[in-house]
Amino acid sequence: MDFTLSEETKMLKSNAEKFMKEKSPSSFVKNVLKEEKGFSESIWKEMADLGWLGLIHGDQYGGSGGDFFDLFVLFEEMGKAVFPSPFFCSAVSAGLLINEAGDERVKKEYLPGIVEGKKILTVGLRNDQGQYDSQDPALEAQEVGEGSYRIKGNRLLVPYAHVADEILVLAGVMKGSRSSGPTLFKTKSKGPGIQVIPLNTITGEKYFAVTYADYPANQKDILGSLGHGSAYVEQVMPKLVALKCGEMVGGLSKVVDMTVDYVKQRVQFGKPLGVLQVVQHYCADMTTFLDTARLIAYQAASLISAGLPCAKEVAMAKAWCSDAYKKCTQIAHQLHGGIGFTEEHDLHLYYKHAKVSELDFGDSWVHRQTVADAMGFRE
Amino acid sequence: MRFTFTEEQNRFRQEVRDFLQTEIKAGTFVAKSGGLAEGSSQEFSSKMAKRGWIGMTWPKQYGGQGRSYVDKVILNEEIFKVQAPVAYHFLADRQIGPSIIHFGSEWQKEHFLPRFVRADGNMKFCLLFSEPNAGSDLVNVATSATKDGDSFIIRGQKVWTSGGHQAEYGWLLARTCFDPKVPRHESCSQFILDLRLPGVTVRPIINIAGRHTFNEVFFDEVRVEKRFMVGQENEAFKQIMAQMDYERSGVERLLQNYPIYEKLVGHIKKMDKKKVGEEFYAWVRDSMAQLEIEFHIGRLLVYYTAWTIDQGRKPSKEAALAKAYCNQYEQRLNDLATRILGPSSLLREGTPWAAFDGELAECYLWSPSYTLQGGSVEVLKNIVAQRGLNMPRK
Repeated sequence: MDFTLSEETKMLKSNAEKFMKEKSPSSFVKNVLKEEKGFSESIWKEMADLGWLGLIHGDQYGGSGGDFFDLFVLFEEMGKAVFPSPFFCSAVSAGLLINEAGDERVKKEYLPGIVEGKKILTVGLRNDQGQYDSQDPALEAQEVGEGSYRIKGNRLLVPYAHVADEILVLAGVMKGSRSSGPTLFKTKSKGPGIQVIPLNTITGEKYFAVTYADYPANQKDILGSLGHGSAYVEQVMPKLVALKCGEMVGGLSKVVDMTVDYVKQRVQFGKPLGVLQVVQHYCADMTTFLDTARLIAYQAASLISAGLPCAKEVAMAKAWCSDAYKKCTQIAHQLHGGIGFTEEHDLHLYYKHAKVSELDFGDSWVHRQTVADAMGFRE
Repeated sequence: MRFTFTEEQNRFRQEVRDFLQTEIKAGTFVAKSGGLAEGSSQEFSSKMAKRGWIGMTWPKQYGGQGRSYVDKVILNEEIFKVQAPVAYHFLADRQIGPSIIHFGSEWQKEHFLPRFVRADGNMKFCLLFSEPNAGSDLVNVATSATKDGDSFIIRGQKVWTSGGHQAEYGWLLARTCFDPKVPRHESCSQFILDLRLPGVTVRPIINIAGRHTFNEVFFDEVRVEKRFMVGQENEAFKQIMAQMDYERSGVERLLQNYPIYEKLVGHIKKMDKKKVGEEFYAWVRDSMAQLEIEFHIGRLLVYYTAWTIDQGRKPSKEAALAKAYCNQYEQRLNDLATRILGPSSLLREGTPWAAFDGELAECYLWSPSYTLQGGSVEVLKNIVAQRGLNMPRK
């Protein structure tokens, strides 16, 4: 047990914090969400130049082959600023899937562009209800000739599909009426057989539904082996979930900071609210949620980094962080009173982020089932 | 950042486990939940002492091993998982020894520390802090220590004194300054009080589990030599503040009911979904997973606090936060266990059909004390807010 961050990680974290404070104040976030693109291309380029997008990708693809834990602290800092960008969907979700499933040719074709920020990819892994369905995808790829397919069905909550060069999806391959299993495809993001429909979500982040109607795909669009798609997704999932936890811990820490500051300043009954014991206890609860969420999320990330078994720890982290972040935003609203319920204030950004993150990759109930399995309780 | 233990620590844990298993097999004690560090055996303590496991974090010059607090948590984790009988040396090891090292005189160090480390008698302590009118408001103590030549005369009463009927010594907090202009927290001193001195009366209090573990202690003109005063006169609260962090930071706050937890997990693993009903079983799985997460987090908090001490930082916030969290977890554990086991968990020890042979009923009855002892959850939250978050007092 050693809770010290390495010097390099500490430096990266504090640089990222400074970068986010300077580039992504809340006023920026609120404005950029209203724009059509939904992110800043100039910041995106700077992040690529800093090497962030290639942090965990191999140096043969322009990355730095760094530690997963470093990527995790970057997401913590981005979460603190609720910074909107295609980082997660492109450099992480799509990048890791390509790394997992792609052969050398595919990796060389995609990863350098992703790392440089010149190519943006996204992933469509969620069904009509917004749930991940990698075991049995609702999307179908019917074989219509040797190595030729027609993809049919919907993908929901696909991030940044409007700016993506390509989209990775899982589709169940059907040869006649026989299933060959979920398979990872890359598709275009526009053109015949594909429609990208903007979704108006509670955060205003750019999410889309992508509908495929006999979208033509061929052998070359398959990443990895036929029928192995779920395995690739399962393989990268712990990393995605851990990074989401990092993002949540960042957001959570900002919520605690802003609330504690507020109750120290806000005067009622001739005294700061913070002298009231009931308010102090709320704040103690919030900081308990924060410290515990950070510990368990750091644990998940650190085990992944060390290449150790982590399924149970990742599930525990997502379950706990989901509840902790959400509960803290609720307490924060209670303590801020009316001002926290205005668009002008920043708290709503976190209230919304907490809910979106809770329901992404499964809420606490979903992950508790994984924990129960790991404890040896039969289903 | 490393969430695993070193090879050396893993070996140490195994060594502790092997020792405890040998003792259990030899019938020295039975792994059973209940009150905090209840079982007391000088013989068992001296076996631990021979292995260097008492005072292991203390400097070598005082007979300690100079080991880390993380190592100590490893030791205590294994000890409390099986509820080994450590009460004989527990307080001396956890807080009296460290207080003497920090604040004690040379004579006190020479007189007490070697004895503690060897467990060779006269080291079972109780805490004489709380009084009828000084509970959470500890600075309100009325027990007085008035100077009389080379001695102090103690008059007054203490209450909630755990183990007071078995202890040889008390760690006493008493008022030594009676000037009403001096703030109350600068008016008290600490003493080591031999409970066998004339004028000390210990009376039992029976708790809601029907057990006698705590007491009232009365002092009727008890004469204590001045050399038994620890640290500076009137500086007790500074010293106690430093010492409370150690009292609060331990893994024992998480593991008082670990045997219940283990039995509960075993019980659920054997459950037949069809027999107990699918809906009930689904609820059990979900509730236990939540409890497992909470337990796991409590463990991280305890190790984090120990690591904070090893870094040379004062763990006031960390220790208060960890204790408040762990105490509440233990209450939820016992409550959930009774609901999963059902009405058979109401049956006491020795009653046929009692769930976990009555241990569960016992633990549920003990539960309300967890969030009170060593600082109530509310007092701890105040500490987290005021010292951790710098929130204003006034």
